[in-house]
Amino acid sequence: MNLWLTFRLSLSRIAAAKVRSALTMLGVIIGVSAVVALTAVGQGAEQGIDSSLASLGANQITVSATSPTGLDENDAAAIAEIEGVLKTSTEVRTQGTIAYGSESINASIIGVSPTYEDLGNPDVAIGSFLPTSPGLQNSRTIVISARGADRLEFTTASIGDEVRVNGLAFTVVGVLDDADGFGSGVNVYITQEAARSLFSKSPYLSVIRIQAESQEAVPPVEYRVESFLRFSKNVQDDDDATFSIFNQAALQDTIRTVTGTLGILITGIAGISLVVGGIGIMNIMLVSVRERTREIGVRRAIGAKQSQILTQFLMEAVVLSTLGGLIGLTIGQLASYGFSILGGWEFFIDPTTVFVALGFSALVGIVFGVWPARTAAKLQPVDALRFE
Amino acid sequence: MQLTDVRREYQTGDVPTVALAGVSLKVQRGEFVAIVGPSGSGKSTLMNLIGCLDRPSAGTVTISDKDISTLDDNELTALRSRAIGFVFQQFQLLPLTSAVENVAAPLLYQGIRPREAHKRAAAMLTRLGLGERLDFDRGRLSGGQQQRVAISRALVTNPDLVLADEPTGALDTSSGAAVMEVFKEMNAEGRTIVLITHDLEVAATAKRRVYIRDGLIERDEADAMVSTP
Repeated sequence: MNLWLTFRLSLSRIAAAKVRSALTMLGVIIGVSAVVALTAVGQGAEQGIDSSLASLGANQITVSATSPTGLDENDAAAIAEIEGVLKTSTEVRTQGTIAYGSESINASIIGVSPTYEDLGNPDVAIGSFLPTSPGLQNSRTIVISARGADRLEFTTASIGDEVRVNGLAFTVVGVLDDADGFGSGVNVYITQEAARSLFSKSPYLSVIRIQAESQEAVPPVEYRVESFLRFSKNVQDDDDATFSIFNQAALQDTIRTVTGTLGILITGIAGISLVVGGIGIMNIMLVSVRERTREIGVRRAIGAKQSQILTQFLMEAVVLSTLGGLIGLTIGQLASYGFSILGGWEFFIDPTTVFVALGFSALVGIVFGVWPARTAAKLQPVDALRFE
Repeated sequence: MQLTDVRREYQTGDVPTVALAGVSLKVQRGEFVAIVGPSGSGKSTLMNLIGCLDRPSAGTVTISDKDISTLDDNELTALRSRAIGFVFQQFQLLPLTSAVENVAAPLLYQGIRPREAHKRAAAMLTRLGLGERLDFDRGRLSGGQQQRVAISRALVTNPDLVLADEPTGALDTSSGAAVMEVFKEMNAEGRTIVLITHDLEVAATAKRRVYIRDGLIERDEADAMVSTP
């Protein structure tokens, strides 16, 4: 009895009891499809986070004021001189109203230094970002985020129109494609000089962005910046700090740790569901051995060896579990295709996933099929034939 | 084939049951023997022993000059596969398999290539008049036809010995008679046949009858063989 015939016999047996086979495979189907879908979601999300972090630059450090007077121009000037710092940009933030036509919205008005475009990497959809030449820093120009443009009913054709910021006229030079971060607020960008002269006359800053010379320089630079600020602000313990520092690399590490944990979680779920699925298969195979005791006896009488009976039942378990794995894989891939559309990341079939899913389901069949198959093979022919 | 002072006991719960209480029997190549006895007489146990499906509790069973108690499971299987063909009362065709696949199964278990096995199975079925029904499964065959498939399956490996356990028990009179004709032909070809039955009319077809009761041979028509007390 060669393997191919045994395989075909298993298929016809599975086909002969469709409902029972489907129910038996259910555990493996659910397990594999859930894991395939979750893995794809994890990979897609990680990709998305990676690319958005990469656009911000991995060698950046951001210092944010945690009180209105937390940071000022002097700090920024001193930080720019610290060893390992390549470039800095600064931001002042105030709240205000933006009006265009009959629409009016509240927004965060962010006054940015000319270097902001290099560090903040604003994603300009239409027009351009703010002017960078020193002579134009007092110009009343404004860039609006996509959400702001949407709420103001500002269309592509309106670039060059004027909007009123707290009643003062600004010319719109660009619209960003950026999502406005978290929350539902709207950001608008003007030059820092305009912001200082018109809305925020104090020397205080909201954010200082620092670009280190290299990714390796990030930790020492972060250390020096923090030491300097603690010294100059006379911070004794952490509660007194008027600023907070974070760097992209650390954030990236945190996210990697989270996705790593998620991966372990998924593997755990996979393990549990495959074991449950395997027990289902083992159960039905044991029932099958009992039901087919006479058949086993007849097969033994007409010359089947123990090993041939073992192979037949093991094959059946493996075909069941692998078929379950295949169905689960298909469902999982369809689901991850759906998620990729919802999540806006690229759909791809990972060969590793396919291989691992099928490999593990086959393994489940072997592990949980061995006992029933051995039970079948060890039956004494005479007992099997007499069995009613 | 020879049985010498064979005993077989079973343990049913705490009660030991003696199925065979010391049986000696010798069957020569080419004989047609009917083992006749009522149910519970031990005749099925005898058949299981002759068919290498079981081992004796005491005594020796020798098939083709081999003592079966010295053989392991694989060797017993090989002996069954090569030398013995089984015909059961309830036909015992394999489920989900066609007539020709049923007949090919013993050959496939011997390791013969599927194409060759299929060819030989088809030839055997054709010889027994089922050439038109090769691909029928058991649900589409009458009892007599199923039993002829089972006989084909027993014969396809060209065994020296055919063991038949009540082969006509589940058949009507005319199908039963046709099946007995087949056995007679097989015997005429020189094959040894051991038939187990409770039906004296069926036993009449055989050339020699051995009567068994309560685990002992009551009477053996071969004068040379005498039952042990």
